[in-house]
Amino acid sequence: MSRAPEVLRPGAPWEKTGNASWTQCGHCANWFPVGGELLARPQVKLHCPTCHTEFLAADAARLIKAG
Amino acid sequence: MHAITALQYALEKQGLRPIVYVTQPRLADGRISKMPVVTNLTASRALVARALGINDHRSAAAIYAGRTAAPVAPVVTTTAPVQEIVIKGDEVDLTALPALTQHVGDPGPYLTAAHATTYDPETGVDNTAIQRCWIKSKRRMTYYPYPASHNNRNMRKFWAKGDDCPVVFWIGHHPAVLMGTQAKLGYPQSHWSACGGVIGEPLRLVRSVTFGDKIMVPADAEIVIEGTVPRDVLEADGPFGEYTGYSGPQVAAPVCDVACITMRRDAIYHDYGSGLTDMLVPDNMAMEGKVYSIAKAVAPALSNVYVPAQGRRFHAYLQFNNPGPGEARDAMTAALAYRRLKLAVAVDDDIDIFDDNEVLFALATRVQWSRDSFTLDGLSGSMLDPSTPMGAKTHSKMAVDATLPLPPSPGAPRPVPPRSAVPSDALEAAAKLISGVNTQGWPTL
Ligand SMILES: [Zn+2]
Repeated sequence: MSRAPEVLRPGAPWEKTGNASWTQCGHCANWFPVGGELLARPQVKLHCPTCHTEFLAADAARLIKAG
Repeated sequence: MHAITALQYALEKQGLRPIVYVTQPRLADGRISKMPVVTNLTASRALVARALGINDHRSAAAIYAGRTAAPVAPVVTTTAPVQEIVIKGDEVDLTALPALTQHVGDPGPYLTAAHATTYDPETGVDNTAIQRCWIKSKRRMTYYPYPASHNNRNMRKFWAKGDDCPVVFWIGHHPAVLMGTQAKLGYPQSHWSACGGVIGEPLRLVRSVTFGDKIMVPADAEIVIEGTVPRDVLEADGPFGEYTGYSGPQVAAPVCDVACITMRRDAIYHDYGSGLTDMLVPDNMAMEGKVYSIAKAVAPALSNVYVPAQGRRFHAYLQFNNPGPGEARDAMTAALAYRRLKLAVAVDDDIDIFDDNEVLFALATRVQWSRDSFTLDGLSGSMLDPSTPMGAKTHSKMAVDATLPLPPSPGAPRPVPPRSAVPSDALEAAAKLISGVNTQGWPTL
């Protein structure tokens, strides 16, 4: 893992916040959304839908977690 | 009586917006008029844009805003087609004009494309606005300048001095000029110059026969009606089918006693289908320009504005290119201050604001109502809005932010699920495939 997961925090109640977590594949650099349930199981490998590389969340180029 | 307007409704129902030209219209008293009627001239946004020299109606808001901000002064001519025929005094006969009775409940024939031009007696500055006129007799018609309108203000100033108010009504011109004179201006501010900006050349004016250079008229109009509005005389006017799609109530309106009618030798009478796209499109496109300039001043990320005819004049869709924090709300707040608007919807530039399906998609999937909408009460609005509460003088308005949240950092995606899509080359291939299929004979499902 090149850097620690970034965690999104909600702003003011009237400001838009998203609800999706995204990860970036270290192989092809493409982003894809991942669910919180999957991220809660750090031993399950993520699967890049673009280049089909499998990697642990801890090894993602970037991981931005919602909430 | 209602045949021509009915034709517009029937065409609209089928999604057709051709110009309607009637060569032998029947007058209210049954006579056949020698003067043809043109209507539905501005029912199509594409056609109105083309008349303005704009290739795509979807880019009209910014262009219109830019042109009205760069006025071009008019020129005065003495060769005026609109004065080829001059009819004065007892020869005047308004009932010979092929004015239509449009809707059930309208009391008689109305001029619907009459541009009333008055001037501010203090500054001499002209004002022009479309005002309905009910032809009551050969030389008298009521006309209805809304209480808040600039023409009403001018009239009240003349009346306050103890004078009758001079007025001319001109009918029929190039659609670009019709659009140009609908520019939403301050008071007092010349509509002739604003019109010149919109059409990109000086508007040709001529002195009116009755008022000389006090009131100029467009030299290339089809018909001009000149008269005075006698002080403090009010008569019943209406009910009248309005832009809201409802019949406005009967009101106390000033009258115009007509002194003179001038026209082209081959004059065409122009009618606007009130409440139809024919009348909504040009006014809404002018509104788009105004709303664009108001909102752009506070929100540089604003990229486009659409005032859809299906929202009458009450709804506006605002499109943004990566709005910064607060920017969509700033823009919508500014837009809602504009008179008739009572709903502003903000969307990103992946949403086609000219497609209600897309706007509804954004509303359905990008909005949590308590978080993303706000209402503002007590703003000025249209008293013709049929939902106005009893006794209210102001309105309740709403803004909905249907944009997506911003990416958390540069290069990162927005923190929302990605929108489903098929590859653009596959989509193009599919469209090509369909275009070659003969669907005639397919069952109606
Ligand atoms: Zn990959």
